[in-house]
Amino acid sequence: MSEDLIIGIAGSGGDGVISAGESLLTAAALEGYHCVMTKSFGSQIRGGEASCRLRLATQPVLNPNGPLDVAVALNWDDFKRFGAELPVEAATIVIYESNTGVAADKLPLPGVKPAVVFSVPITAMAAEHAGTDKAKNIVIAGLIAGWFGIGRESVVAGIRKKFAKKGAEVVEGNVRAFQAGLDFATANPLPQDRKLSTPQSGGQAKLLTDGNDMCAAAAIFAGCTFFGGYPITPSTEIMQFLDREIWKYGGTVLQAEDEIAGIGAVVGASFAGKKAMTATSGPGMSLKTEILGLASLAELPLVCVNVQRGGPSTGMPTKAEQSDLFQAAFSAHGDCLRPVLAPTCVADIFEVTVEAFNLAEYYQTPVIVLSDQEIAQRKETVDPIDTSKFQIIERRHPSGPELTNYARFKLTESGISPISHPGMVGGNYLCAGIEHNEQGRPTASGEMHARMNEKRFNKFNPLKNRRDLFTVEGDSDAPIGMVSWGSVAGVAREALRLAQAEGLQVKLLVPRLLYPVAETVYQDFFASVQRGLFIEQSYQAQLYRIVRMNVDLPTQVKAFAKSGSNPILPSEVLKRLREMVVSIQGNQQHQPEAVQD
Amino acid sequence: MTTLDTSAKPFSLTKFVPGDFKSDLKPIWCPGCGDFGVVTAITRALANIARPPHEIAFVSGIGCSSRIPGYTTAYGFNTVHGRSLPIAQGIKLANPELLVLVASGDGDGFSIGGGHVAHAVRRNIDITYIVMDNQIYGLTKGQLSPTSSRGRKTVTSSFGSLEDPVNPLLYVMGYGASFVAQGTPADMNGLAKIIEEGIRFPGFAFINVQSPCVTYGMEDQQLKAHKTNMKSLEAMGHDASDRAKATELARAYGTELYTGVLYRNPNPPTTYGQGVTERQEAFKKSAVPRHEILNRFKPTN
Repeated sequence: MSEDLIIGIAGSGGDGVISAGESLLTAAALEGYHCVMTKSFGSQIRGGEASCRLRLATQPVLNPNGPLDVAVALNWDDFKRFGAELPVEAATIVIYESNTGVAADKLPLPGVKPAVVFSVPITAMAAEHAGTDKAKNIVIAGLIAGWFGIGRESVVAGIRKKFAKKGAEVVEGNVRAFQAGLDFATANPLPQDRKLSTPQSGGQAKLLTDGNDMCAAAAIFAGCTFFGGYPITPSTEIMQFLDREIWKYGGTVLQAEDEIAGIGAVVGASFAGKKAMTATSGPGMSLKTEILGLASLAELPLVCVNVQRGGPSTGMPTKAEQSDLFQAAFSAHGDCLRPVLAPTCVADIFEVTVEAFNLAEYYQTPVIVLSDQEIAQRKETVDPIDTSKFQIIERRHPSGPELTNYARFKLTESGISPISHPGMVGGNYLCAGIEHNEQGRPTASGEMHARMNEKRFNKFNPLKNRRDLFTVEGDSDAPIGMVSWGSVAGVAREALRLAQAEGLQVKLLVPRLLYPVAETVYQDFFASVQRGLFIEQSYQAQLYRIVRMNVDLPTQVKAFAKSGSNPILPSEVLKRLREMVVSIQGNQQHQPEAVQD
Repeated sequence: MTTLDTSAKPFSLTKFVPGDFKSDLKPIWCPGCGDFGVVTAITRALANIARPPHEIAFVSGIGCSSRIPGYTTAYGFNTVHGRSLPIAQGIKLANPELLVLVASGDGDGFSIGGGHVAHAVRRNIDITYIVMDNQIYGLTKGQLSPTSSRGRKTVTSSFGSLEDPVNPLLYVMGYGASFVAQGTPADMNGLAKIIEEGIRFPGFAFINVQSPCVTYGMEDQQLKAHKTNMKSLEAMGHDASDRAKATELARAYGTELYTGVLYRNPNPPTTYGQGVTERQEAFKKSAVPRHEILNRFKPTN
């Protein structure tokens, strides 16, 4: 039996690779498995190569992980284009289309000799049973269902529903194609039973979605009624979801003429008193920064989601990277602070997005959510979220007395001044990007500028004490500490689990608040640490550097960083953790000699 | 001709005078600046419209002209260079009840922010766009502007400009605007009237104001010259519903100073805001409570 199964399927655009993956994903989710599915495509708009990775497990899994347990190749040229995204090892079960003409002992996988290989006439089976080679995806689903014991009933139910409109003949043809896959698997059993065990959650109803849709749903939940933006990969699905939904809640989506106009309209809507959001990716973020500065100085709430992709410039639009943290923290000119939050998985995007709206409205500030392509576009099972536990914060409006001689930017103790909006009697003021006095009137006074800067910084002081925006997992007094954020935190969490299973004393800090840097959280975490490791998907290890700017870390805290699109695997992290244990032991034996990492 | 009026409340009982819309903030403009006249014309128009100041949002970008919102008692928003139009559209879409005015200049509106004009026009959101066109960058002390004439010598075109100017009237006509007018503070009554008409027009309204720069402007661009040169479209008997004729007259920008309404669409098209409101109304009943939004992610096969 298996507890964790990673399936990779690749072919060309029309092969139904993605729909095969999706029908298995839905089936497994309905059966209570924890699932993660990522998709990858060539750069062609249509056609070209397509692949998906599907991870099904009996325990929660928060990353797609590395080598495949099962590889399905509809043709080898397309399969090989995905390289490290679909790694095949000797233990991988390989299933491939017979009509590729490749002999089972001559697979075009240099240096790898998989022990279990099936050549299956997938196209011929589809044509024979469903009358069309379009049913290849159904045959694949049948093969996987047969060999690994998932989704028999629900895939068939799905077929009946999906093809109902096309008539009984089409339905039955597809059911036969699925059965043919099952029969092939029965007739050609695996050398050992690899059927998935029953999931621990035992069929508990789960949600199944991707990060972009989850982010948009969270915005609706938080009370967002205005979205302005411009299409950009890999964030566009946020705008698409809101365009389908927001009107129902009295809201508006404006597809603007450019990224600047998108966030411009959002600032306008916020000035008018509405909760407003924009979403973009790196190049759009670069364009939006001037208006982020305006919103900071004018103290207007807004949420700006950056679904990170590889950069700089156009970079790698369809690949994840964590290289926009510097930009998020230091975007726009002038002395300024804007909170930056990062979700770690699809479920987390809900909480982080709601939190972003709350912080924006409470502190009257733009808040940046740093998502990334991986969690934004991967589909994942999510345990039901209890929405009643969330508090929704609204901006503080001036009371009646405060509206007499109203001072929009009043220097209060907290630094937060009650905010009016057009339509509110007595709240009239001049909002501006130019420095202002308490009434909002333009000023060139150095003294007033200094006081306003102080106000705009000090109002965020309580934020650094928000320990609930950080999680510490593992042994709290462990000598080895990892820090990881965003989608890579899912890798670190699995590495922690593997390390603990080996008896290593390790802990993991996952910040969801990246900026401002909560100095005391890091100081406390590193107090017990002799060796530390930041794990990040960027060339520079940007969180590592930003934390170092703010906190005196022990010298033996290093970074393990890779440029985007190069998977970081739990096994690689585990290897480093083991080395760190050895290093500590060596250090103890040969003190006071310095240890090189 | 029908003049729909979506901006003024139908039975406003409160009487306003222009002074109700003037703030006590002292303008930074040079004495004799044309913009003094524009703020006067705007406050006169607003007194006639009779919406209280707190129901008005007045948005601008950066430049001499963009200081205007602060000199009124409306909710002002003096934003960043060139982006007043997108910000104003966000305000109007977020709260359609507001009366939204935008002030800009030739540089703010047709150079750095020029890309937004076409989209504001085609989107037809009900806002009034007043551009104070003085053919020079005054705030930064006398550089070439997009409406400066070819050959014009400025501190950034020491040997004369090598490019043709933008024609704001023709551009906006070409983008398909439904209301296009031009005025000058040399004719205060006329300017206040077209601003009022622009505000009352149900949809995007563009008003180009020839507002002289007394410090860096040319002599033939000053109010004195305007008084001699301006030609009233009304006096000429121009039919403002004639789009072709309006376009022809717009071509004379830079050589003739026509004042009044150049074009007013006799059948104003639906505004973006109307479309939004209809859609919101139609979709309202299919909304699930916000806290149930996640139910849509329950997997079904």
